Amino acid sequence: MLGFDYARPEKFDDVIALLLEAGPEALMLAGGTDLVVALRHHVARPRLVIDLKRVEGFRAEIREEDGSLVVPAGTTMTEIVRDRRIQALFAALVEAANVVGSIQIRNRATLAGNICNASPAADTVPLLALYGASVEIAGTSGTRLSSVEDFVRGNRDTDLGEGEVVTAVRLPLPRQKTASTFERITRRRGVDLATVNLGCLLQADGTVRYALGAVAPRPLLVEGGGDPETLFDVATPITDVRAGADYRRAMLNVIAERALARARSAL
Amino acid sequence: MSGEIAIDLMVNGTEHRIAVPPNLSLLDCLRDKVGLTGSKECCAVGECGACTVEMDGQLVNSCLCLAVEADGKAVTTAEAEDEDLGSVRDAFLQTGSVQCGFCIPGMVMAARAILRDEKADDAVAVREGLSGNLCRCGGYNRMFEAMARVSARQARAEAPTGPVVGTDVERSGGRARADGSQKFLADLTIDNVAHLKLVTLPVAHARIDGIDASAAWKVPGVLDIVTAVDLPQPLMHFGPVYKDRPVLAAAETRHHGEPVAVIAAETKEAAEEAALLVEVSYTALPAVTDIEAATAPEAPLVQPPELRPNDPRSGTNILNERVTEWGDLDAPGADVVVEGIYGFPMVTHFAIEPHGFIVDARSDRMTVWSPVQHPYLLQRMMADLFELPLTSVQVLAPDPGGGFGGKQNPKFEPLVALISRRIGRPCRLVLTLEETFQNVRRTATRMKMRTGFTKDGDLVFQDAEADYLVGAYGDISERVMAKGSYLGAGPYRTPNARIRARAILSHTTPATAFRGFGTPQMSWAYEGQMDKAARALGIDGLAIRMRNLARKGDEVVPGDFGADGHWEQSLQKAADLLGWQTPLPEGHGRGIAVAIKAGATTGLSNATVRLLADGSVVVYAGTSDMGQGARTIFAQLAADAFGAPMDRVTVVSGDTSAVPFDLQTSASRSTVFMGNAISKACEDLHRQLAEMAAELSGLELEQISVTNGIIHLPEAPVPIMDFVCAELRSWGGELVGTGRMRRHSLKDHPLGGTPAFFEFNCTAFEVSVDEGTGEILIHRHVTVGDVGKALNPLQVEMQDEGAAIMGLGHSMMEHLVLGENGEIRNLGALDYRIPTTKDMPLSLVTGIVENGDGPGPYGAKGVSEGAILCTAPALAAAVAQATGVVIDDLPLTPERVWRAVQTRDR
Ligand SMILES: Cc1cc2nc3c(=O)[nH]c(=O)nc-3n(C[C@H](O)[C@H](O)[C@H](O)COP(=O)(O)OP(=O)(O)OC[C@H]3O[C@@H](n4cnc5c(N)ncnc54)[C@H](O)[C@@H]3O)c2cc1C
Ligand code: FES
Ligand code: FES
Repeated sequence: MLGFDYARPEKFDDVIALLLEAGPEALMLAGGTDLVVALRHHVARPRLVIDLKRVEGFRAEIREEDGSLVVPAGTTMTEIVRDRRIQALFAALVEAANVVGSIQIRNRATLAGNICNASPAADTVPLLALYGASVEIAGTSGTRLSSVEDFVRGNRDTDLGEGEVVTAVRLPLPRQKTASTFERITRRRGVDLATVNLGCLLQADGTVRYALGAVAPRPLLVEGGGDPETLFDVATPITDVRAGADYRRAMLNVIAERALARARSAL
Repeated sequence: MSGEIAIDLMVNGTEHRIAVPPNLSLLDCLRDKVGLTGSKECCAVGECGACTVEMDGQLVNSCLCLAVEADGKAVTTAEAEDEDLGSVRDAFLQTGSVQCGFCIPGMVMAARAILRDEKADDAVAVREGLSGNLCRCGGYNRMFEAMARVSARQARAEAPTGPVVGTDVERSGGRARADGSQKFLADLTIDNVAHLKLVTLPVAHARIDGIDASAAWKVPGVLDIVTAVDLPQPLMHFGPVYKDRPVLAAAETRHHGEPVAVIAAETKEAAEEAALLVEVSYTALPAVTDIEAATAPEAPLVQPPELRPNDPRSGTNILNERVTEWGDLDAPGADVVVEGIYGFPMVTHFAIEPHGFIVDARSDRMTVWSPVQHPYLLQRMMADLFELPLTSVQVLAPDPGGGFGGKQNPKFEPLVALISRRIGRPCRLVLTLEETFQNVRRTATRMKMRTGFTKDGDLVFQDAEADYLVGAYGDISERVMAKGSYLGAGPYRTPNARIRARAILSHTTPATAFRGFGTPQMSWAYEGQMDKAARALGIDGLAIRMRNLARKGDEVVPGDFGADGHWEQSLQKAADLLGWQTPLPEGHGRGIAVAIKAGATTGLSNATVRLLADGSVVVYAGTSDMGQGARTIFAQLAADAFGAPMDRVTVVSGDTSAVPFDLQTSASRSTVFMGNAISKACEDLHRQLAEMAAELSGLELEQISVTNGIIHLPEAPVPIMDFVCAELRSWGGELVGTGRMRRHSLKDHPLGGTPAFFEFNCTAFEVSVDEGTGEILIHRHVTVGDVGKALNPLQVEMQDEGAAIMGLGHSMMEHLVLGENGEIRNLGALDYRIPTTKDMPLSLVTGIVENGDGPGPYGAKGVSEGAILCTAPALAAAVAQATGVVIDDLPLTPERVWRAVQTRDR
């Protein structure tokens, strides 16, 4: 790793001040499972690394507030998987969080980090979009909300402005009974990044929505019920070291069907 | 940049206040600042788990954690003394989970976490809990057993009394590997050492137009920046067969990752930073990276013809050719002819220990630390290159953290020595995993096969074109081609055969030895042909093999050494263990395959054994213990020869100035060659004991005989241990025995000598396939080896399972993916997949056949490669039966299987 300065602020306000001062040369560090890899590969070459883990509120408990479940930005995948409310209401998020890396990775990787990293293959992001989740962002002019769907704009590209930091993820509590499932395709059964992934949300009234990952620069939301032949035409998968575009496209239908079948039996 | 930050760290219960720079990982902090080198670095990106520690009660990858983040936290490492860790270590050792040991410190931490979660008895949780830790020695199945044992809180078994040969004695050196105290190369601390870093290009083939190091020189701590022109001319070239590899690329690079410059600096961070700042201007040139391109008429030459003077092929990319033939291919009798073209891609060794080298060449002496499999070959090569007498070159070879062939031959030792000479300091170059990938791989192959059978399924002829795609430099790959193709007709009675083999140079990573040495590639083809014939003729895969398999004494290559085992017993046993005759469940498929590999042909192994005055035994054996447990076997042989307890036997290796010559550690030779040498040294000592007993008792020598552990005197037998303890002290000193095994080379033999033994294996699978996604699920994986005699059954099982799992890797997921400029696109652990615990078959069973018919001690044969030899064809046959599609290219990734199923359905 090349050299950098390190700061460990205790307040979000200090984070914001540091970010404004250092500009784009500052990077925030949560669990580090993406950032430290980028540092080691010299993809990220920050002058300043701002460690968020000791910021007040960053590692707070998950709480219910204004009809939403508020997941503080420092919440790790391990904590997501163990949370009873998330298990009950957002089952697919648990399934997705549970396949992020290994236990070692999940003990460090944060949900907010998965979003902010904006990798097209992120496993939790399509689901968060599917659940209508938003990120809570603090900046100089206070806090704002941005829906995950809009926040992730493309590959490694987010709606995070200068001097802004994500403080929490908000998951609106479902107003009717739902069942949700997550499926993905990988090259091996052990730890792997998704070749494609998919979330399925089935509501008591029978409506179905899908969220697709790794088949476009950003997660895609698709209303179910249409012609299966053309349902996923919005996907624009690419061919890379992990898979061919046609395989990715074909797998969408396969896992969508499986995800829906599981959701039906769960509802 | 920023200065250091003081942190408080509680490590294994001890408080430390340490000043760390922000860019120091917790892993490096533990290793370099706290001095605990148990936690290892392999991938450095969170994939392998070798660096796993516990921080504030949570398992984490310390390579992905900054030391500053750990400020005020409690960290537990594999070195810790705690009860859970103790039980895990014991269970790992007893179940044979510890091979090379490089992954073990991380693995025991993960195992401890499972135990603490009270999940050790839950097989699914165990697979999940260990899946963030890679073991390339493939110890997963043993580890599953270890966890079951820990959960049952089974007490440690008492060490057996009596003879130890043939029993499951614990791996020598296992304990040090389980508690993190074993020193691997990167764990050595050498005073005043300088850190080296290679400068490489992002393309394979390029003309170097200029190198500007001015910015790099400004990095504080840089000691030297060296390009080819800065080195003594003519530039040093080396290689085990051809001296074709330059120490640094001069005008041109020939493969991705070939260094064009090297930095020496005070710290590895400074070297890393400077390496990034060296500006190389280059012109990318067309790279030939596959067999078609390399053999095309106008193909660019990978090596200039001057590199191989006197070689009639030097104007082409063909490094060498071999034809093995007998009988007459046009002989009548073939009712059915099957054809196929079989592809085996480039795969890399991925030893969990990345390669590393340390050289101190400050004076007219040279010390080389390298976890090399052949220390004596390295010693001779360095002596030749630097014109030093052998006595002035000392090679210290720490046990490799996995070798698998990749660590046989020298790689960067000459370069590191040159830099050490220039700057007058010892120098250390530890490669990253990515750099390691750029320096070793298996030969990729394309085999075109035509095979004739009678309508009853008898082989009539085998006609093979075996093309081995080697890299930019010859390394040992030509021998891989020669040995692999020589047995290209497999373990069968083949009346007529022709195998035309070529080793073809390309702008790719130099291919080298890799477990199986050309055989897995060959068996992929000839066993694929067997199944094609079986399907065409409506014969079962077992039956067609049973029919054609050579019986003991039958020559598989006419005129050469005959089959040295009852191979049909292994075939039958594998079929039985799989349940070949039981009804096939709906949707399942079964496959079975066999293969042989020629064992070592020639060479010398020396051993010295000292019997000390208190009955301790010291064995000097130059074999490297890279996980196969050579040292354990040697200690067992010596222990039984003298009736000494195992803990009284020490095996010394890894130092060319203290231990006598051993040709190499390869080709599963050690048990046979070094084992015999040690047995002979022990016999030498038996003779000396008889003489001593005669001298002390006044008896005639003829009245005394010595057998394992016992001196037979006329009145009564005396245990050697009692005799030695009573008499040797007063007799004064100790006894020293020597022994050797040497096989001569045969000039006219295509391999330079007949194999000392064959390694025979039969592998069988039962699978089902998810046709929607192409995923294969292995219900049962069986492997049976013909081992002669299992000197340590547990170690045989470890080796077999490890080879089997490695075989699953190349069968199902491994391949290097190259880009347009010949660059490797999936360097490192993130996108090169090897099996994890979750990829293990639902059941893996190993069996052995023991007839005591090998040339080694007690009739043993070599065993460490068998189970990798025919994994792929057996798996593919099972997939073919389950799906009805035949795939001739590896690996059988979900995507490839899915594609095949699509074509079937179209
Ligand atoms: C071996 C391995 C396996 C993996 N497997 C998977 C997988 O299967 N599926 C998957 O989806 N991912 C996987 N990942 C990726 C990774 O673990 C996740 O993306 C993780 O959730 C990132 O969270 P983090 O806290 O570690 O983020 P960090 O690495 O700390 O940060 C990631 C990025 O987000 C920014 N950031 C973090 N927090 C904030 C914040 N609060 N406000 C603003 N910006 C912020 C950082 O500046 C950085 O740019 C894997 C990674 C590794 C190393
Ligand atoms: S996970 Fe840390 S070195 Fe591989
Ligand atoms: S013992 Fe696991 S890598 Fe060697």
